[in-house]
This record gives sequence, C-alpha cells and structure tokens, in this order.
Amino acid sequence: MTTRTATAAAEDRDAALRVLLPAGVGILVLCAWQAATAITGVPEVLLPSPAAILSRLVAAAPDLLRHALVTGGDVVLAFGIAAASGIAIALLISASALLREALYPNLVLFQVIPKIALAPLFVIWMGIGSPSRVTFAVFVSLFPVAIACIEGLARADRQILQLCRAICATPVQTFLAVRVPFTLPYLFSGLKVASTMAVIGIVVGEFVTARAGIGFFILHASSKADTAGIFAALFALCLVGFALYAVVVAAEAAARRWWRG
Amino acid sequence: MTDGTIHATHVRKIYETRTDRIEAVAGVSFTAKKGEFIAILGPSGCGKSTLLMMCAGLETITEGSILLDGRPVTGPRPTTGIMFQDSTLLPWKTVLDNVLFPAKIQGRDMAKARRHAQELIELVGLKGFEGKRPHELSGGMRQRTAICRALVTDPDILLMDEPFSALDAITRDEMNEALLAIWETQVKTALFVTHSIREAVFLADRVLVMTRRPARIVEDLAIPFARPRPPGIQESVEFNRICGHLRGLIEPPRPGRAAPAPVPEMAAE
Repeated sequence: MTTRTATAAAEDRDAALRVLLPAGVGILVLCAWQAATAITGVPEVLLPSPAAILSRLVAAAPDLLRHALVTGGDVVLAFGIAAASGIAIALLISASALLREALYPNLVLFQVIPKIALAPLFVIWMGIGSPSRVTFAVFVSLFPVAIACIEGLARADRQILQLCRAICATPVQTFLAVRVPFTLPYLFSGLKVASTMAVIGIVVGEFVTARAGIGFFILHASSKADTAGIFAALFALCLVGFALYAVVVAAEAAARRWWRG
Repeated sequence: MTDGTIHATHVRKIYETRTDRIEAVAGVSFTAKKGEFIAILGPSGCGKSTLLMMCAGLETITEGSILLDGRPVTGPRPTTGIMFQDSTLLPWKTVLDNVLFPAKIQGRDMAKARRHAQELIELVGLKGFEGKRPHELSGGMRQRTAICRALVTDPDILLMDEPFSALDAITRDEMNEALLAIWETQVKTALFVTHSIREAVFLADRVLVMTRRPARIVEDLAIPFARPRPPGIQESVEFNRICGHLRGLIEPPRPGRAAPAPVPEMAAE
C-alpha cells in the first residue's frame, strides 16, 4: 500500500511538473521581455511590452472576437473538408495497387509545392470571398491528412491480416477491426498537422483578399503602425489554432478509448 | 457431426515467379484420423509451413487435393483453428477480447463463447490476466492467449505453424506441456509444424519427416508413448532413441563426416 501511494504521489508530482515547467519558462520569457522594453526604452511601435499588448488586447477584445469568429468559422470549415477529403483520397489510393502506383507519387510531388505561393491563383479562380480562402486552406491542409492516412493503412500487421483471412473475416470486418485501429495514430498525427495548416491557409487567404477576419485585422493594424494590435491579434489567432488542436486531441483520445473497447 | 479428418493426396505447390519456378512441396500424401496429433518435422524453409498454409486455405494448391472433414479445401474454413509463429494478437485489445475475436467475427453466440474463453484461459494458466493487453504479457503468455483464441470457436482441426519457435527454450518446454494439457482435454485433430525434433516427439502421435525443398515425406513414424504424457518421458532412453533416429533422417551423413551416433546428445535445438 505504501509503495502504491508513493508511486501515485510521484506520478502526481511528474504531472504537475509537466505543466509547471513549460508555464514557468513562458512567464519567465514574458518578464524578461517586459524588463527589456522598460530598460532599453525601445519605441512601442517597434516592440511593445507585454503589458501594452495586454491592454490593447482588452481594448480590442470585442472587435477581435468578431474577427476571430470569421476566421475560426472558415478554419473549421476548411479543416473539416480537408480531413474528409484527405481520408477519402487515402481510402481510394489504398484500395488498389494500380491507383496507388498512379496517384501516390503525384500526391507526394504536390506536397513539395510551396502552396502558400499559390494563394493569388485562388483569387483568380474563385474571387475574393470566403470560398476562395476556404478552398485555399483545404488545398494546404489536405496533403498531411491524405499521406498520413495512406501510410497508416499500409501499416496494418500482415500476419494479423492473414489471421483475419484464416478466421473467415469479411474484408469489411477486417477493415473495421484491424486496418482502422492500426491507422488511427497515423491519421491523428496527420490531422494535428492539418489543423495548424488550415489556420495558416485561412490567414494567408485573408492577407490577400479579406475584409474581415484576423488576417485582415493584422493587415489593418500594420497599416496604422499599431504593433501592439498585431500582437493582440496574434494572440487571438493562437487561441483559434489551439482550440482546433485541442478538439483533435480530444477526438483522438475518444477514438482510442472506443477502439480499446 | 464433424469427424475432423485430414486427407492430403499428392499435394504439390509450385511458386511461379517471372524468372523461376520453385517447387516448394512435391507430391505429399498423408492422412490424419480424428483426434490425432501429427507433427510435421523438417529443416527450416523446407516447405512444411507451405503445406500447413494449404491445409488452412491460405495458400492455393497447385496439384493434388486436401480434404478436411471430407470436403476439399478451397479457402479458409471457420471450423479450423490456427496458430502462427507470432501470436498475432491485436495490440489494443485485452487478452479476453483477443481470445473472443474469432467468435465475434464469425457472429457466434457470445455468451457461450465467453464461458468457453474463460475455461480456456484458466486451462492455460492465464487466469487473472484477462484484462491485460499484449504489451503487458511475456512472449509465452501471448502464445497462451493465441492457443485460447485458436480453440475458442471449438474447431475440429487445429493447425499450428511453429508456434513456439520464437520462444526461449525454458518457455518453450512450458508451452509444450500447456499445449498437451489443453489438447488432451479437448481432443482435436492437430497438425503441428516444427523444426524441433524433441518438440515433435514429445507432442505428437505421429511424426511426418519432410526433406529439404522440394518437400517430400520420407518417414511416417508412430510415437509409442501413452497419454497423458509426463514431461519426464523426455529423459527416457526410448525418447532419445527416437530423436536420434529422426535426426539421422533430417541430417543425412555428409561425405567425410561420421554417421550420426545412435543416441545423440540431449540438445536437439
């Protein structure tokens, strides 16, 4: 009993450290930043102090919230479409050796293109509205999902697949009971990458075209030399990205619990 | 009512590659009666596993036929139990769920399967480990789980492809005893592929000795020990005489080397 409580206490301490250590480093950096701006007297337009950014953030909060909702909505939509179509492409490519040979190298080649540079192209194709930005963000975040999912589908243990044949499992049963669980870790690592790529895609799109959204807010603040405003918007953007990332992590935990039975 | 017999008649297996034709199994015939434990013994890579995979319906038969329970093998069959060299457990499932996996896939009565699974888990000495996952188990415990899984659907034929060859010698001896204990309570026709002479003699009613590729059966030897077999029989003179005889068949004397001694030393593996 004593060893058990001792182990539990050690685990609690480790868990607390895992939170406190990075948080401590973050706070330390902010303090150093604040001190540096106070000591050097660097102009606020070049580098505002954390305190100045905080007060700007509070002042602009209602405005930022409105813009964050626009950006967030587009990000969620783009991520959803990218996840669904990425999985669909992966299933299609994994379904036959011929499709795999024909499509997979092209997919990898596409992955290499610096897609950010193509944002203006989407304006020509789809105009300056939200569909253009969402399509661009889907285009950017689709590949990590597709490639991770293809990788995962190919990773199912061959001997376990042979066992499935031996016990007369149907292809659908084998897919659901074996291939999907083997793929989940790969798929979710792809989705995590895609969740951050979707935010980047939407914001870049907003830089190019938008009249609302955090990308627009940043551009607008920049034109007014409102540096604290840019940082405040950046903070709001982080929250959007973090929220989506957290949803993916929670979905992964739920999926694992489900498959573990 | 199934009888669980196995009839293999002139079974051949030829692998065709773009440049080559490899004959893995060359005209093998044998018969297993209901409830008979047959070991197929041969050197590594001789095609004995191919023969077993053809019995399981996992490999096509190039020529000849295999009848299980009187019906020709055309593909996998739900009432055949199978064990591989690797335990092939689903890593995210518990011992109990792994054991129940074939029953669930085949849509069997789960309440009955659950009771049977519990019995089997107790028989192989895994009681108390039902909720553990494969990474928490030793290699021997994983293969015990695989034995239970092979038997949970109450098959009439049990096929085993070198199931203990990846285990250390001590665990392997324990597994052989566990397998005998369970097989003696639930008699199944069993085919057991191995390259361990002692394992074959300890477990089987009959040992079929196969040559190197292309595989043929060169000896069909009845093992005279009564059942249940205590582990101690492995120390008997008779046991070692049989082992020596089989070793002579597998390793024919090469030129320039003395013929194998009639009673060779203990370490067969």
